Amino acid sequence: MMKCQIALCLVLTLFALAGCGPKADTPNEAPQVFVFARGSDAQKLDPADIDDGESVNTLTQICEGLVRFKSGTLEIEPWLAESYSVSPDGLVYRFKIREGVQFHDGTPLDAEAAAFSFLRQMDESHPAHLPEAAFSYWSYLYQDVVAVEAVAKMELEIRLSQANASMLRSLAIFPAWLISPSSLDTYGSEMQRNPIGTGPYRLKEWRRNEAVILERNPDYWGEAPAFERLVLKVVPDNTTRLLQLKSGAIHGMDGLQPTEVAALRNDPNLTVYEEAGLNVGYMAFNLETERLSHLELRKAIALGTDKQAFATVALEGAGRPASYPLPKGFLGYPSVEDKIIYDLERARKLAAPFVDLFRDKPLEILVMNAPRPYLPDPVTAATFMKGQIEAIGIPAKVVSLDFKTQLDRLRNGDFETALIGWVGDNGDTDNFLSVFFGSWAAEKGTATNYSFYRNPEMDELLLTARKTTKTAERAELYEEAIAIWKRDLPLLPLCHGDNIVVLSSQFEGFQLQKIGDLRLSEIRVK
Amino acid sequence: MLLALLRKIPFFLALYVFASLAIFAAINAIPGDPVELRFGKVVNAERVAIERERLGLDRSFVERYILSQKQFLTGDWGRSLGSGQATTVDFFAFMPATLELSFSAMLLGVALGLSVALFGALGSYPSMSRLANGIGTIGLVVPIFWIGIVLLVVFSLWLGWFPMGGRFDMASIQPSRRSGFLFLDTVFSGDLASLGIAFKHLALPAVCLSVFPAASVASVTYARLQEPELQAFIVALRSRGYGTARILWRHLLRVSAGTTITVVGTSFGALLGGAFLTETVFSWPGIGRYLVTAILERDVFVAQNILTFLVLLVIFVAFVSDLIVFQLNPKKEEGE
Repeated sequence: MMKCQIALCLVLTLFALAGCGPKADTPNEAPQVFVFARGSDAQKLDPADIDDGESVNTLTQICEGLVRFKSGTLEIEPWLAESYSVSPDGLVYRFKIREGVQFHDGTPLDAEAAAFSFLRQMDESHPAHLPEAAFSYWSYLYQDVVAVEAVAKMELEIRLSQANASMLRSLAIFPAWLISPSSLDTYGSEMQRNPIGTGPYRLKEWRRNEAVILERNPDYWGEAPAFERLVLKVVPDNTTRLLQLKSGAIHGMDGLQPTEVAALRNDPNLTVYEEAGLNVGYMAFNLETERLSHLELRKAIALGTDKQAFATVALEGAGRPASYPLPKGFLGYPSVEDKIIYDLERARKLAAPFVDLFRDKPLEILVMNAPRPYLPDPVTAATFMKGQIEAIGIPAKVVSLDFKTQLDRLRNGDFETALIGWVGDNGDTDNFLSVFFGSWAAEKGTATNYSFYRNPEMDELLLTARKTTKTAERAELYEEAIAIWKRDLPLLPLCHGDNIVVLSSQFEGFQLQKIGDLRLSEIRVK
Repeated sequence: MLLALLRKIPFFLALYVFASLAIFAAINAIPGDPVELRFGKVVNAERVAIERERLGLDRSFVERYILSQKQFLTGDWGRSLGSGQATTVDFFAFMPATLELSFSAMLLGVALGLSVALFGALGSYPSMSRLANGIGTIGLVVPIFWIGIVLLVVFSLWLGWFPMGGRFDMASIQPSRRSGFLFLDTVFSGDLASLGIAFKHLALPAVCLSVFPAASVASVTYARLQEPELQAFIVALRSRGYGTARILWRHLLRVSAGTTITVVGTSFGALLGGAFLTETVFSWPGIGRYLVTAILERDVFVAQNILTFLVLLVIFVAFVSDLIVFQLNPKKEEGE
């Protein structure tokens, strides 16, 4: 009897503990709160000093720039500037600042206030040029800016040292978003965690590694967001995140695996948004290695790669094959497509003279072991490539590493071939081709030109195109550059990964953005 | 007691030097320059050089090791290369969450494991004996994240009894932070509703993480109680006509206390390891997730200091449990 009682007590205690209280109060009962979940938290909330997608997506709700991309396109529209003009030589940009806008702390927006966000990046003696901040984007996309000045109360002038056709686009992305000039006085170096923008939401609370909690900006100059609060929740585990979405505990999420997406497309309670992202996944050939310096061998690998099958197998439909080293629709994307067509027979013939080189030491394919936007399942992708390369007679092996280690080996040229990719920053062609093919980007240690491809002809074309402000002329130059890529094949484009976001179908108004940032303030209840 | 403590100090120091050196060397050996990788997509070589100098990363291995230990011991743990946040600030933000979780899991695990082992050892509950044998295998073999997901599916998704991870409701106001331990904070503020919310969030991850200590305690304690002398002891107690409750509470619990405490002390490290997986499945903002991210991101100062601290903590807990066992039964140490 006694034993039963004790056992019963134990069991009852457990149940009492478990069952106490009403059903878990998840925020879905409060329609005033929209909860979006993602795999990791923002790192910092300083638009001038971030690099990771989560930080950018958080700031997308809080900050705005002088110009922005028209929703769902790569066209520029005036935003915090009412209008703008560019001088005929492309050296002077003038922005007429919008009247009646104020930062979340009440500071009115004028030209002086707008200049703050640029000057603090440009001028090393500026008090808000924090020593711990890297400002890495400034020296990369805005290196041509020499002066930023308020020429009138509501007129800001940005002067360049040389024309730069991608500048306007660069001014639409996060490093050029504006924060209140009083940020430094209010928060000191903590301003990197306390953004004061002009956007539809303002920061309420940041529970690190848990959630960023935003609240509606009551003084927003544009259309007010539909929700009182927007919660950007961190749910690191993919399975848990999906369970939460299905249970209604969250209203939207990203970071899905292709296999998961397939199962969600037919779920009437969910809406899947997917679109080709501004990225290219590719195979980099290290031209400084003996074996990959043979053009014929690179051609053989290119001809022997069935990209359609690659997209099906390695991306499971969550991406599309890439014919060129830049996304479709970009300036310079060949008007008449002349892509490399899969031809196993020819590939075998071309590869035959090189087979002996690989007899003792197979071709090495370096790959990262965690998903990237351009390669949702990198190891499967690499295994597929190994199969394709072995089919033309070259033995190959896959070496998978964590992303940072791979990046380090790529930047130092310590590899033979690698699967890697690039996510565009500002939607400009230069942001792809210069990164891949410019010889200035082939310095050991800091390279982004992982093929270590150096060709003066290519350099000349890229530099001229960057300065050319006439669109048609620029397009021609880039088409030429693409032709040279095809001749020399320093890398083999493989795919464009999709941007994927899933929302509960009770909402509407969401639009995927080309450059991938999430404008969650546009979401409404149906 | 004091003497025992003092005698252990040189041993403790040697362990510290060995552990900190091993950690430093290991983090140093991870490929990739932390500063270069911190600069993101496009690296500026000049700025990298300046930053390396500022952080002292351009000095020799020995110099850097000595500096790192000086900083560790003086509590100057540097800043995260990724977030720019002071490591100590992060530490005090995330460590309480992990301690809260590990402590509850340990408590729950010991309670479960002991009950199973004690009832099993009495011999009059065949099902309990089987459970005591089985739970050890299950708890040590079944992956913890799988247990976590099953718990989530059953108790959150199907039954809706518990929230799906996280430490507190996003819609509710969190009690003001005093200790960082949500439980204590809610008690301090006298806010019963918040205590309830915090409790519901803690329940599933604590149960999930308790499986491992429950298994270790159950299997080791059960095995100890199976020893012939103890079985004879139980028979002797029974023959005197003592009831089950008295045998359990007055005798067996005492006999097995030493074993249990030793198991708890030595499995604390494994518990912290399990905490990382539990934190991931249940979106728990703890130090485990923070540390693993730091290592993957080459956030060297964070990884170095936090890891050193955790290793010392594990050693310390093992050491204290040793002392307690000695206190309970001074003969044990003399005999060894």
